[in-house]
Amino acid sequence: MRNNIRIYLVGAKTALASRMAYRADFFMSMLIMLLVEMAAPLITIMIYQNGATFPGWTMYEALLIQGVFLLGKGIAAPFFFGIVWNTIERVQNGTFDLLMIKPKSVLFMAIVTGFDAEDLGKLIGGTTLFTLALSRLPMPGLGEWLQFLLLFLLTLAVLFGYGLILAGLGIVWIGNFRVYQIFESITNFGLYPAAIFSKPLQTVITLVIPVAILGSVPATVLLGRPSAGTIGAVGVGLLFLLFSLGFWRWMLKKYTSVGG
Amino acid sequence: MLISVENLTKVYKTYQRGSSFKETVKSLLVRKPLYVHALKGISFGIAAGELVGFLGPNGAGKSTTLKILTGILYPSSGAVDVMGYTPWRDRKKYVAKIGAVFGQKSQLLWDIPPIDAFYLNKAIYAIPDRVFKRTMENMVELLDLKDVIRKPTRQLSLGERMKCEFIMAMLHQPEIVFLDEPTIGLDVIAKDKIREFILEMNKKGVTFILTTHDLSDIEHLARRVIVVNHGEIVFDDSIATLRRHWGEKKIIAVSTVHPLPDLTLPGITVTKRISDYQAELELDLAVYELNKFIALVNKASTIRDLSVQEPQIEEAIKVLYKK
Amino acid sequence: MGKRVTVGQKIGQWMRVLKATAFSTYKEWVAYRSQMAVTIFVGPVFFLTQIFIWRAVYAARTTLNGLTLEQMLTYYGIVAVIGYLTFDSADWDLQWLIRNGSFLTYMLRPVSYCFLAFAQKIGHRLLALWVELIPVYLLFIYLFKIDLVPAQPGWAILSLGLSFILVYLTNYCIGITAFWFTKTEGLRRAFLTLRDLSAGMLIPLTFFPKGMQKVLFYLPFQFITYVPTRVFIGHYELAGISLSIPQVVGLQFAATLVMFAVAQLLWYFGIKRFTGVGA
Repeated sequence: MRNNIRIYLVGAKTALASRMAYRADFFMSMLIMLLVEMAAPLITIMIYQNGATFPGWTMYEALLIQGVFLLGKGIAAPFFFGIVWNTIERVQNGTFDLLMIKPKSVLFMAIVTGFDAEDLGKLIGGTTLFTLALSRLPMPGLGEWLQFLLLFLLTLAVLFGYGLILAGLGIVWIGNFRVYQIFESITNFGLYPAAIFSKPLQTVITLVIPVAILGSVPATVLLGRPSAGTIGAVGVGLLFLLFSLGFWRWMLKKYTSVGG
Repeated sequence: MLISVENLTKVYKTYQRGSSFKETVKSLLVRKPLYVHALKGISFGIAAGELVGFLGPNGAGKSTTLKILTGILYPSSGAVDVMGYTPWRDRKKYVAKIGAVFGQKSQLLWDIPPIDAFYLNKAIYAIPDRVFKRTMENMVELLDLKDVIRKPTRQLSLGERMKCEFIMAMLHQPEIVFLDEPTIGLDVIAKDKIREFILEMNKKGVTFILTTHDLSDIEHLARRVIVVNHGEIVFDDSIATLRRHWGEKKIIAVSTVHPLPDLTLPGITVTKRISDYQAELELDLAVYELNKFIALVNKASTIRDLSVQEPQIEEAIKVLYKK
Repeated sequence: MGKRVTVGQKIGQWMRVLKATAFSTYKEWVAYRSQMAVTIFVGPVFFLTQIFIWRAVYAARTTLNGLTLEQMLTYYGIVAVIGYLTFDSADWDLQWLIRNGSFLTYMLRPVSYCFLAFAQKIGHRLLALWVELIPVYLLFIYLFKIDLVPAQPGWAILSLGLSFILVYLTNYCIGITAFWFTKTEGLRRAFLTLRDLSAGMLIPLTFFPKGMQKVLFYLPFQFITYVPTRVFIGHYELAGISLSIPQVVGLQFAATLVMFAVAQLLWYFGIKRFTGVGA
């Protein structure tokens, strides 16, 4: 384990050094990563500025949901979600094989070589929005924080699961970077209070596909009014993680039988 | 045997797909499976310290064999034992003991110096500091690299990069190293240096298995050649035998004082008749001995100049590929 | 004295190049149609979120910023359709060609790169027409019941055509910056993000604060998405200024000409640098 952490750190350092070769472009990209993620909060602010609301939610409550969502993505994107583009790119140009001749699991190697330095901009963006929204809301108690942290861990685990599924798709669907859009379109629902969606859709994004867990579920706990179906969402999240691990292994097996 | 391969087969299943609108719509409903037999039951053994070259035309099954031996691909049937491991089953433990250089897939990182990529491998293979330093310095010296490893990879020449690929692949001191077209696109000097390096490491006991299209790689490096074609081994022996496989022939160029005699004799094939006084031909020694040939020509036309050459290995290979 | 070529012959020649290039690009991309078809899923799913967001927002009101719920959803529907129609990767393509050196092969051709890349875009979008646009258009109309029939079809088509050219010209200009910078990924994305925002892709421009609307009115970006969308709806308004449809399409035409001039100028300096410094 300690050895693996060391490998990961060396990998991250190498990726950062690679990116720093073009310093100006790196900082520009990082800034853009931050800005691009701010689209939904921007729309939300403009809606409220124009005198409209999501009924039952103040602007900062809505922004907190988006803050949690973007914080989760902000952690996932640089640290482990890089398995997606890394896998797609490597399968496409044939260098996926190079991960297989290393004495470590292919998944671990895909994470290590997929560290995405410029996505640290997303982390900065997510942290800023989260803190900003929280500072305008009553401070949650210790119990709420604890519940939130547990749920947020699951948020990250679910994001990892999505990463596995997209990367797995990248093995069989050669060179298709549009899998990102599939992910974004589905998880887009997680940026808003689940309550604004119709009942059937709420059930789908909470208890069928783990989307509410990415924003709404942990954020509402922090706001002191947990969403309906939180327990169910936790179960679905865990099942999803198991499923995605299985899916990745299945796709990897396909790769080793066809060889890209 | 360090490596033993028995009856290895590999069948790929692919699907036909068309490109016209009609075919596109059709392919959504029914897909026609297509079976490709990449390996049709090959067997061979390689002893420790050998240097073996794999030859074969594109799509013959070379890279499939190499991928199976490196644990990247699993076969449809057959058995492989390398140092007591089954590559695709004990992959992680197994690959810690092998190295691989793929001529067209770089392990280096484009924007940073090779040495940073070496450090990543140091961590991955858990190479102790002292061993890492010694191995690296040793190889840097052998390959004549000096400060090159501290310059960003994108500034290096192709030859320098390839040399660094070798270091990258051998830092953890593997017992077996697989090379897939290691000299592709290199200039003569870089090729020579790399070949020298391979021979040097081979002397130290490292087993090398290489695939290549460059026959001079094989001639300079390999003592043993395995030729694969249509998923089968069509030849497995020494370079000298490979040459003889084409027959015991000599290539002769001759020019004479008087017009040449009639050379349409069994065992003699005129490949180029430049003039009445000059010709190039192939002589099959099993049918027509060399001294008899020289005597014949000298008596009839008086030899002015004559050269005798070994046949090109290409000729022998062409014969095998056409089978 | 060279041979005299009539204008007619010259146009004929150009059309042949256009047709051949567009057709070969089309064929090249047919292999990737399954990637393009991802849109048939992604487009409607994104739209579904819009429906719910705006339904919630409109729960307590009938108009917002002068737009009804139907008009708001129509706005996003049209924005999506315009996106499928006008999308191109001229910026990325040109940067890639310059960076890996294969741009040289284009310098050796007797047709301008600008024209060839435009022909490629036409080929690429022709494929997108039946893989992306028509399926999503039908889904919007029949599944989501969005009214996607333009108020004045003639003007709408003209405006969409100009938008098609404008998107190409702006992307092409970003691509040209690769003559100066070794790595322009960040710059490219920054510009595209700001452009899309100022073009009204995320939210109608009338939602911006009044002062910003004034700035946006004088920037060329509104002509990419916002103007054609408004022409489609049949009513234009920004920064408190209302214009008739012919007026605003006229302005769009002028903007396209200006953009073309800018592109030519940038290209002139870019090529000078390219040939001066060497590849």
